[in-house]
Amino acid sequence: MVRSKLLFAVAVVLSGSAVMLGTVPAARAADPPKCEPEKLATKYPSLVGKKVVIGQDGESPPYSFRDPKNFNNIIGADADMVRAAFKCIGGQFEFKLGGWSGLLPAVIAGQADVMWDNLYFTTERAKQVDYVVYMIAGTGALVKKGNPKKITGMDSVCGLTATAGLGTVEEAAFRDQSEKCKTAGKPPINLMTYPDIPAGTRLIQNDRADILLSDLAMVDQLSENNPTAFERGFKVISDFKIGVAMKKGNEDLLKALADALTVLQADGVQKKIYEQYKLDPALILPIAIQR
Amino acid sequence: MKSRLALFVVPLCLGLFLLGCDNRSGGQGAPGATLSQLAGGGSPVGQGESGWLGELLGYVVLPFLLEGALLAVQISALAMVGGVLLGLGLALMRLSSYAPIRVIAWIYIWFVRGTPQLLQLVFLYDALPGIGIKLDTFTTAVIGFALNEAAFSAEIIRGGILSVNRNQTVAAASLGMGPLLALRRIILPQAMRAILPGMANDTIGMIKGTSIASVIFVNELTFRSQQIVGQNFKFFTVFAAAGVIYLMLTSAISLVQSVLERRFNHELEPATRGASSWRRFVGWGPSWLPGRVAAEAAPPTGAVGSSPAIAAPPPETAAERSAHGLLWREHLLAASPRQADQEARPFVVCDNVCKSYGGREVLRNLDLTVRRGEVVTIIGPSGSGKSTLLRLINHLEHVDWGEIKIDGQYVGYEKRGNALRPIRDLAKARADARIGMVFQQFNLFNHLTAVQNISEAPIQVYGEEPKRARSLALSLLASVGLARHADHLPHRLSGGQQQRVAIARALAISPRLMLFDEPTSALDPELVGEVLAVIRRLAEAGMTMIVVTHEIRFAREVADRVVFMDEGSIVEEGTPAEVLDNPKEERTQRFLRMVEREETVVDA
Repeated sequence: MVRSKLLFAVAVVLSGSAVMLGTVPAARAADPPKCEPEKLATKYPSLVGKKVVIGQDGESPPYSFRDPKNFNNIIGADADMVRAAFKCIGGQFEFKLGGWSGLLPAVIAGQADVMWDNLYFTTERAKQVDYVVYMIAGTGALVKKGNPKKITGMDSVCGLTATAGLGTVEEAAFRDQSEKCKTAGKPPINLMTYPDIPAGTRLIQNDRADILLSDLAMVDQLSENNPTAFERGFKVISDFKIGVAMKKGNEDLLKALADALTVLQADGVQKKIYEQYKLDPALILPIAIQR
Repeated sequence: MKSRLALFVVPLCLGLFLLGCDNRSGGQGAPGATLSQLAGGGSPVGQGESGWLGELLGYVVLPFLLEGALLAVQISALAMVGGVLLGLGLALMRLSSYAPIRVIAWIYIWFVRGTPQLLQLVFLYDALPGIGIKLDTFTTAVIGFALNEAAFSAEIIRGGILSVNRNQTVAAASLGMGPLLALRRIILPQAMRAILPGMANDTIGMIKGTSIASVIFVNELTFRSQQIVGQNFKFFTVFAAAGVIYLMLTSAISLVQSVLERRFNHELEPATRGASSWRRFVGWGPSWLPGRVAAEAAPPTGAVGSSPAIAAPPPETAAERSAHGLLWREHLLAASPRQADQEARPFVVCDNVCKSYGGREVLRNLDLTVRRGEVVTIIGPSGSGKSTLLRLINHLEHVDWGEIKIDGQYVGYEKRGNALRPIRDLAKARADARIGMVFQQFNLFNHLTAVQNISEAPIQVYGEEPKRARSLALSLLASVGLARHADHLPHRLSGGQQQRVAIARALAISPRLMLFDEPTSALDPELVGEVLAVIRRLAEAGMTMIVVTHEIRFAREVADRVVFMDEGSIVEEGTPAEVLDNPKEERTQRFLRMVEREETVVDA
């Protein structure tokens, strides 16, 4: 019940577009991709001598965060996948860290080549960027320990104060739910947006907000590491797809990443990395290019 | 509870850091322990009694955070330099007399101040590539903050410039200084006092504000601390550490501000400027600090607020005076060699001069001729156009109609057809004309000592060698009896002394003509004499002079000719005996009766 409501709230357009555009399997049966870093020049000629700039925010564990042993290092599931993928491709890359909300604009403007930072696929975004999807989004609701407001699903958020990252699909989901609350004659949701996830958790900790909606893995880790402060109110495995985004027209890069991810998935590298960062391997999605 | 803790922690950390007890190893270990907790890889490390303090200090000295701070400082420093230069340009545009230039600057400031800086940065970074301009992160941040700062500093600088009395500009112009020279040497140094506090505010604001540039990938202090918090959720210690680092940076800026403010405080004597910034910074200090010692050791002569009588110089010896007097005469004679055949030729010719201000006629069809070496005094009720006439003669203001020639030449006009047009380089024309002017309010440059006031124009306008200019200035100062006040700032001099310095300043440009605009009107009665004595000696030396005055007795004694003006035209002129003792016109008689009555009251 809960699940279907959320899905309906945020995924109608998505499913429609998926039908219309279709998904193109990157792995063709006839010619399964292989890791051939030495063949970079013949397979992806435009990547020769190019340092691909990967935009990440470096502040969202378990996807992209600073290595506690050496702050100059970026680790996390997304960061490690980047390294594995480029090892497979044979090309050069560098991380460029900035605020999450600035990453996609930078990719569209050409200031970065790839946004690889837990970015959901939406048709709106797909108008400007191409994706290689690799994972299904799980959404988790972070609430205060003991769940004092008895939040068990999106329909129990009416009249409460909710928080989500600025410009995220979770923010859109809350706005949508708020409209539904009003239609149902219930009080609307009071929505606060946060600039980064730690700021969001402080809202919950200090009772400024009742529910924080974010990526499932992040929410799980937060409640696991702060068992006295938080718990998970509910979770939704959506059909939101998460993908690597790059500006339209970079066919070599798109193909290179799709090929590499296909190999990493087939070889179990993706699963291994996900397990290392306590991500549920069940979220893994067959690699596909989506435009 | 937390705010209380912060109150205690922040100064303590600052103190420990300054003492060098940075506890580096403990600090490095602390974040590691908490992070392993997060990653789930290690057992949670219990924090000891001093755990949080060590952790905080560890973050304060963490190279990762300090590098972020350095980046913020680099961006701010470059952006401030660019922003202030651009802001100065904008401020001048805002003060321009040309409306289109003013409007352009106004629109820029309106737009930049009125739009969020975050959007400006994103625009520069993500929209400009669309037209082929791809700036890197650092450059974008520097340009973005500089463009923004320009708008704000333009208004601060404009405020500073406006805070400087306009008579400083007029005085500079009368010495032949061009607008830019006057701005650089006279206006800005005085405006700095008003400008500096605002600039320090902006600098501090910018250092902290660089954090918004994280959207364009600037990894400065706040973003880096957010990244650390992003994984260990130790927001209190990490953000407190960032706060300590910011506090150290902003303290340094405050210190620089107080040093600069002292440097540009022209109410401090030069010797004490720059001394004991510490005392100024904190508002007090032990007496052994140099600032206090210097302040206390300063001789009490001429202290601010003491009566002018005390400030008057001890009389110089007759030998001193005559020696200086000789130098002074030599200087003036060298400046305007006199030839017998020129004696009778008119030197100043005003022909049919008209001037109005906003429709009100101030001078109408005025004719006046002054011969070389002649002393003309102009008397008349206030508002009769006397001062305006002087300002037209040295072209501080344009004539509306008619013409004025000095020694047969226009000052800063060219003839186009029938009409006179002001030329572009007015300052040079004024400098070449060598017309000295003395103002009612003295208009000394407040930030320069007496001797610097005098040598400024010879050095800056006439390219005189500084050493020579200084010795000439000293000799001129001696000639007006102020040799001992050479290094005093104007505010330490009495009104009479200031006016004598102002006369020496006008004489330093080797004037061929001296204009006096009510030189004694702003003086206490007992100080009038010392100024008139100097003017009298100038007359004896043969200087051509036009003196606007209310001192009838002085006019009678010194003037070759007296001109009585009323309502913008000359009512009566002639020798003192004719105009002052036997006035023909009724208006002259009435004016003289009124002035005599006042003088009697003063004498009584």
